[in-house]
Amino acid sequence: MPLSCHSAIHKLHGETEYTIALAGNPNVGKSSVFNSLTGMGVETANYPGKTVELNVAVTELDGTAIGIIDLPGTYALGAVSEDQWVARRGVIESKPDAVIVVVDATKLARNLYMVIQFLELGFPMVIALNVMDVARRQGRSLDLERLSRRLGVPVVPTVANRGEGLEELMEAAVAVAAAGRKPSPEGFEYGRDIESRVAALAALIAEHDLEDPYGLPHRALALLLLEEDPEFIELTSGLPGWQPVLEQAAAMREEIAAEHGQPASSRIAAERHALAGMIAAEVEKVEETGPPPWGERLWGYTTSPATGIPILFLVLGSIFAVLYFVGNSLAALMSSLWYTYVETPLASALISLMGDNLLSQTLIWAARGVEAALTVGIPYVLVFYLLLAVLEDTGYLNSVAFLTDSIMHRFGLHGRAIIPIVAGAGCNVPAIIGTRVLSTTRERLIAGVLIVLVPCSARTAVIFGSVAFYSGWQYALLLYAILLVLWVLVGLGLNFVMPGTTSGLVMEMFPFRRPHPKTIFRKTWFRFKAFLYLAVPILLAGSVILGFLYDSGLLWDLAAPLAPVVESWMGLPAVAGLTLIMGILRKELALQLLVTLAIVEYGAAAQDNLLLLMSEWQLFIFALVTAIYIPCAATVAALGRELGWVRAVEIMVFTIALAVLVGGLLNQFGVHFGLA
Amino acid sequence: MITAAVEEYLEAIYKLSLEGEPVIAARLAEHLGVSPPTVADMLRRMTDGGLVKTSRKRGVTLTPKGREAAEKLVRRHRLWERFLTDVLGFDWDQVHDEACKLEHAISDQVEEKLAQMLGDPETCPHGHPIPGSKGARRRERLQKPLSELGVGDEAVIERVAEEEPELLQYLASLGLLPEARVHVKEIAPFKGPLLVQVAGAQYALGQEVASKIIVRAA
Repeated sequence: MPLSCHSAIHKLHGETEYTIALAGNPNVGKSSVFNSLTGMGVETANYPGKTVELNVAVTELDGTAIGIIDLPGTYALGAVSEDQWVARRGVIESKPDAVIVVVDATKLARNLYMVIQFLELGFPMVIALNVMDVARRQGRSLDLERLSRRLGVPVVPTVANRGEGLEELMEAAVAVAAAGRKPSPEGFEYGRDIESRVAALAALIAEHDLEDPYGLPHRALALLLLEEDPEFIELTSGLPGWQPVLEQAAAMREEIAAEHGQPASSRIAAERHALAGMIAAEVEKVEETGPPPWGERLWGYTTSPATGIPILFLVLGSIFAVLYFVGNSLAALMSSLWYTYVETPLASALISLMGDNLLSQTLIWAARGVEAALTVGIPYVLVFYLLLAVLEDTGYLNSVAFLTDSIMHRFGLHGRAIIPIVAGAGCNVPAIIGTRVLSTTRERLIAGVLIVLVPCSARTAVIFGSVAFYSGWQYALLLYAILLVLWVLVGLGLNFVMPGTTSGLVMEMFPFRRPHPKTIFRKTWFRFKAFLYLAVPILLAGSVILGFLYDSGLLWDLAAPLAPVVESWMGLPAVAGLTLIMGILRKELALQLLVTLAIVEYGAAAQDNLLLLMSEWQLFIFALVTAIYIPCAATVAALGRELGWVRAVEIMVFTIALAVLVGGLLNQFGVHFGLA
Repeated sequence: MITAAVEEYLEAIYKLSLEGEPVIAARLAEHLGVSPPTVADMLRRMTDGGLVKTSRKRGVTLTPKGREAAEKLVRRHRLWERFLTDVLGFDWDQVHDEACKLEHAISDQVEEKLAQMLGDPETCPHGHPIPGSKGARRRERLQKPLSELGVGDEAVIERVAEEEPELLQYLASLGLLPEARVHVKEIAPFKGPLLVQVAGAQYALGQEVASKIIVRAA
């Protein structure tokens, strides 16, 4: 469970000498800085109701404990998006002793925008001018001294992914924090129209002796109100004495809008950009260099439709193939190792110790829960996370989102949703966690439902082990086609039914970079850890409960009420209903159990021929129903965590209804045409 | 027949809508100095007359017919202002009220002669554009949504037509602001997003976002 930001920050202040916040635009190498400065002891924290998280960690410099707060990467500080909101709240609430703003030296002008916002807020600050190596290669020379003088803060050149300059950066940050040195920028003024109003508003705030809960400078507050910042307007309108200031700000906003023909917020943003551009032009000299590097050329191929779409299919196909072949063989290996070295000895030990009774059998089931976590977790989830981190780190995911945006729009999603959905074919759990890249609740919910309807590797195993094995691959293909049609219909339907519209895509695109192993491994590990924490307890508890129900025979009683639906409506034998319940734990259990039950009923021959128990047609329906109804327990837990339990239950009910409907209709169709 | 009162409303809606926020009845009442019920009553009549449309999301908007009438008025108003300053020698801060009265009184012929005499000016003494002048028409013709550009086109952002302040501010923080120069590098298939370059950085903009960014040829 992630900590709340408030308590995490409080704890950090208590444990350390100084706290330093780490800020920067997305993709500037901020996480490289964070990773190099801190060890593995990172905690994540979030604000209630927000999915964007803060990372906090403790590090040490010459015996001084220093708390690091890693703010989400954003282009600005504001209240217009969740990441900006979290970044700003994280910094104004924690009041760090220094802020390190990581700046991309190749995009100085755009990056200085947020630096200017930090200067307005008045925090002691150090600039980490990152990716200096790339900037040099691009023929950029930067006058660091002048930049430092102009901004009134220390500027340290860094190449974070190689660790260059980070020691100097920390020393500078600690020096600034120790001295409490506020920035002293030079010639830092906007146009007269803005500055005169800011001054008047700030004077009004001073005159009424007003303060906001965060103790921001008056100039910063005046700017926020003129920018019509929703958070600060709401915050101050609830406080006594602010009314005249708010009214004055509203009147000024109208004046600015009338003078310039654009809202005051745009006007102020334009002023900031102008200032940022001016400073960048003063300190930067660019010389023409040779042809673009390989990254940029390759990148061009991935975004150009003619080459990009084949590349996309190739990449998606490769992900699937790696998960399928590498995942399957790893899973088989893990499973046989587990069976030989853990389960068999453990089972015989337990039975010889306690006798073959309900308790020992239930404990053996608990061990199978651990096995489930290992055989799904390591082969599929870990491998997938590794692939995902590589795709992210190179920047390829952005190309994918760009190409698929218009297709995903029909389902009420945008391009960024394609990745978690493809991930679902490996395992639904990381895919559901991956929906965090989506910006609205509506998109996350639609993506959640669509992911659940993507047959994961376990369901693929059921389809292959039953339909493909007994009836042939053509029938497996037909089953996938039915699933695809359902998937598209559900997607279109959800987009139609759910209120609201799809948010537009606005995403920075950046050329490929060489992936950095350390970043990839760390990212993979953190995600895998989150998966383990989520899945292992569920699988363990689920195994024990279901194992107990199964061995005690209570499961038969539970399955009895399902008989009308399973037997009359879907035309399956009663035992199939029982196996479907077990499938909630792990989908492939449904088939394994079916085989076990067939052996009990018809002897060892049934292991090779499940058809003694069910017809080919029944197996087809069974596999289809297994692929649709309730995702497994771990996925439900992931849904509950990401979308809330109400939504998770709704999705469960929906998938059950869909499975029963489709299974039943198919059965009636079969009966009618004599296929059953 | 459009009465002077209706004309005042048209003008007010036209001007308020240029400010980029949805025009709501309360703002209109404030702008015109009348009571909200009066505004509601008048809006109903104007809707019946096919001059305006009201919707919950976008507020009061002018129909093409209403817009044409409003532009004509604004044009006459600003032409009179020019006349009062350039010909009669008034100061520019004195001419607004006079022009308000004169704008309702003239025929198309007088308007045409007035424009001719003043040399088809592009702006009023306050610097606002005069609709229907050759210069304004030319500029308007060159304006189109960013979504209509092709691969390789370059343009300058004229304004961001936006009802959602959040998107406007988000785009602003990225530097997608009036007068910024954009270069379309790529367009994704099936009416997909545009890949645009702005000041050294590249962004993918979905079609609906790009359609709200109005640009003019560079």
